[in-house]
Amino acid sequence: MALILSSVHLVTGLPLAIDWSLFFAELVNGLTLGSIYALIALGYTMVYGILKLLNFAHGDVYMVGAFIGFFVLQWLGGPLTPAVTGWLAVSIMFAVAMVGCGFLGVGIERFAYRPLRNAPRIAPLISALGVSIFLQNSALLLWGPEFRDYDTFDLIGIKTYNIGANFFISNVQILTIAASIGLMLLLALLVSRTRAGKAMRATSFDREAAEMMGISVDRVVSFTFFVGSALAAAGGVMFGIVFGQIFSLMGFFAGLKGFTAAVVGGIGSIPGAMLGGLLIGLTESFATGYLPGGATYANLYVFALLIAMFLIRPSGLLGSPAIQKV
Amino acid sequence: MKKALLLVIPAAALAVAATALGQSNRASGPTRAGVNGSTQITCGKTRAIGLMAPFTGPAASIGTDQVHWASYWRTQYNRSHKTKIRYVNEDTQLGAANGTAEAVKGAQALASNSAVLGVIGPAGSNEVKATTGALKGAGLGWVSGSSTNTQVTLDGTRRGYFFRTVPPDSSQSKSVSAYITKKLKLKRVYIIDDQEAYSIGLADEVQSQLRAKGVTVSRDGVSQQQSDFSSLIAKIPRNYQLVYIPWQLPPKGQAFGRQLKSSGRGSMKLMGSDGLFDPLFSGVGSNVYDSFFPVNTKSALVKAYKKSHGGKGEYFGAPTYVAAQVVTGAIDRACKDGKATRAEVRAQIKRTNLKNSLLGIPIRFDKNGDMRKKPFGIWKSVKGQFVAVA
Repeated sequence: MALILSSVHLVTGLPLAIDWSLFFAELVNGLTLGSIYALIALGYTMVYGILKLLNFAHGDVYMVGAFIGFFVLQWLGGPLTPAVTGWLAVSIMFAVAMVGCGFLGVGIERFAYRPLRNAPRIAPLISALGVSIFLQNSALLLWGPEFRDYDTFDLIGIKTYNIGANFFISNVQILTIAASIGLMLLLALLVSRTRAGKAMRATSFDREAAEMMGISVDRVVSFTFFVGSALAAAGGVMFGIVFGQIFSLMGFFAGLKGFTAAVVGGIGSIPGAMLGGLLIGLTESFATGYLPGGATYANLYVFALLIAMFLIRPSGLLGSPAIQKV
Repeated sequence: MKKALLLVIPAAALAVAATALGQSNRASGPTRAGVNGSTQITCGKTRAIGLMAPFTGPAASIGTDQVHWASYWRTQYNRSHKTKIRYVNEDTQLGAANGTAEAVKGAQALASNSAVLGVIGPAGSNEVKATTGALKGAGLGWVSGSSTNTQVTLDGTRRGYFFRTVPPDSSQSKSVSAYITKKLKLKRVYIIDDQEAYSIGLADEVQSQLRAKGVTVSRDGVSQQQSDFSSLIAKIPRNYQLVYIPWQLPPKGQAFGRQLKSSGRGSMKLMGSDGLFDPLFSGVGSNVYDSFFPVNTKSALVKAYKKSHGGKGEYFGAPTYVAAQVVTGAIDRACKDGKATRAEVRAQIKRTNLKNSLLGIPIRFDKNGDMRKKPFGIWKSVKGQFVAVA
């Protein structure tokens, strides 16, 4: 162990003694951020699994979710004087944003992707980019370029809990990690234990065969978009609650990170998306905390991980290599 | 089909409206090629001024401040004068992925628009450098309310053409480092830039001045687009006394301050720059400092502005109000006989002599285009409002 630490110290210049306080802080930050990325990645991976489509508008659905949460909060009286208790307000924000974005996802699929389902694969990809730009600019037009503040401090109050001398975690970080894990478990149950889930798996495996077995593929695809978009909306609201501010262009990078998470985990694999999201969050966080110029180059480290993953394991951590019949 | 039309029609309307909002009004006003500094232009009752600002793009939130203050000047002026002014808007999309390309396109459009007599903006120092060829080639004088890079006026390239109503980084950095070492007497400072040219330039200058005075300085950078600062904050050693963030976006400063507090580092002092001079930042806590012009935030003008802008001061745009005032005044003087050349307008900009300004200092330019008086005050947050302390 000492030899490994010494080698790392010599190569990177990192200190020999471990600052456990910093280590745990970065761990919690990474898990929090990673939970949000994982929720976004799930949408990417579900849609890819069913349609083999990279839905680049997904990051912007996440942005719309964050805005819906914000406007629901304003409708409830704002963070200073909410008409209901803080936690109930948060629950309503989640519910409305998830349902709203679920329908937005269904609408996007119906009008931007379904007409192109049998077109060459590049066509829906371009359509996805178009929808992304359309959503971004619509948000800019409707809600302006200003940053909107969730004011979580006033809404639920931020409390930090100390566990031992070095481990600190706040109530909103616990909420984010727990809610993400809860949503992921629900999704896993939905896919593995329900008829809808079985239909999704069948459609993903062979769309034509599923259709011949009496599964309504259109309905399955719509349902997939609904669930994926609802999860992205939950991620958007979580982001607003944890980090305080949202803006019209927030979806671009978040979407890119979510996509990276999906690829790293193995696109098409639901557990892979969760793992990829957490890995990306932890990479970003530990790179910021430990590596030279970490905060400046955090994205460089994240995307370096993506490239490394492609080189070492092109199908991702939990993805299965595509088998081609010859 | 009907359903598709129902969605497509409002979508198309929205797209057209978005395009109209984001695009410049390049079609407005007469245009012809070959306009230069000596071309005689009939001033008319309504005079055209180019307004270059980030209407959209990553920096649109601060561009809005500038556009609001410039528009406020136009409203005031048009209400009280027989002659009127109108702006020819050019969206520079500062910080966009295609760099300064939009600013250059906008400058070229203004250069070839024979109605345009002078220009307000652009916002960023890189944009000022990139648009020099187009604006200078057409003989236009231009006044920026936010380009602070020290070298922009000192390299001589734009002398007689470019002016600014903000002091350079060298002036601001001196005030900041002097206050940290002489008044606060601090020994350990953490500097975080926002990876933009403005922020990096200012951070570099403060860093070198503090180190020269024996202060231990650590340096980091974070993207302007980022809202999660928790990982960065975790690595700031707890024995550091002040975090200096020369950023441009007040909501980001607010988010950083709040996350600093929630990480248990609430006792650390936090100092911003002119870009963060905003109630959002001062509201973070009592140990928040900032550097800004000695603007009287309680003046009748500021009060009236806030009243008509939802209570927001949007102080980042205040120097753009003064830039608009400078350009309009120069055009008025050059147009006394009903005609003017762009060269005459430039000469009049150079001769500007505003005894009082919104910035709390008289406005006169030196030979390089910088303001002759360029003081930067230091402000401290008291009950959520900035109060001048030095």
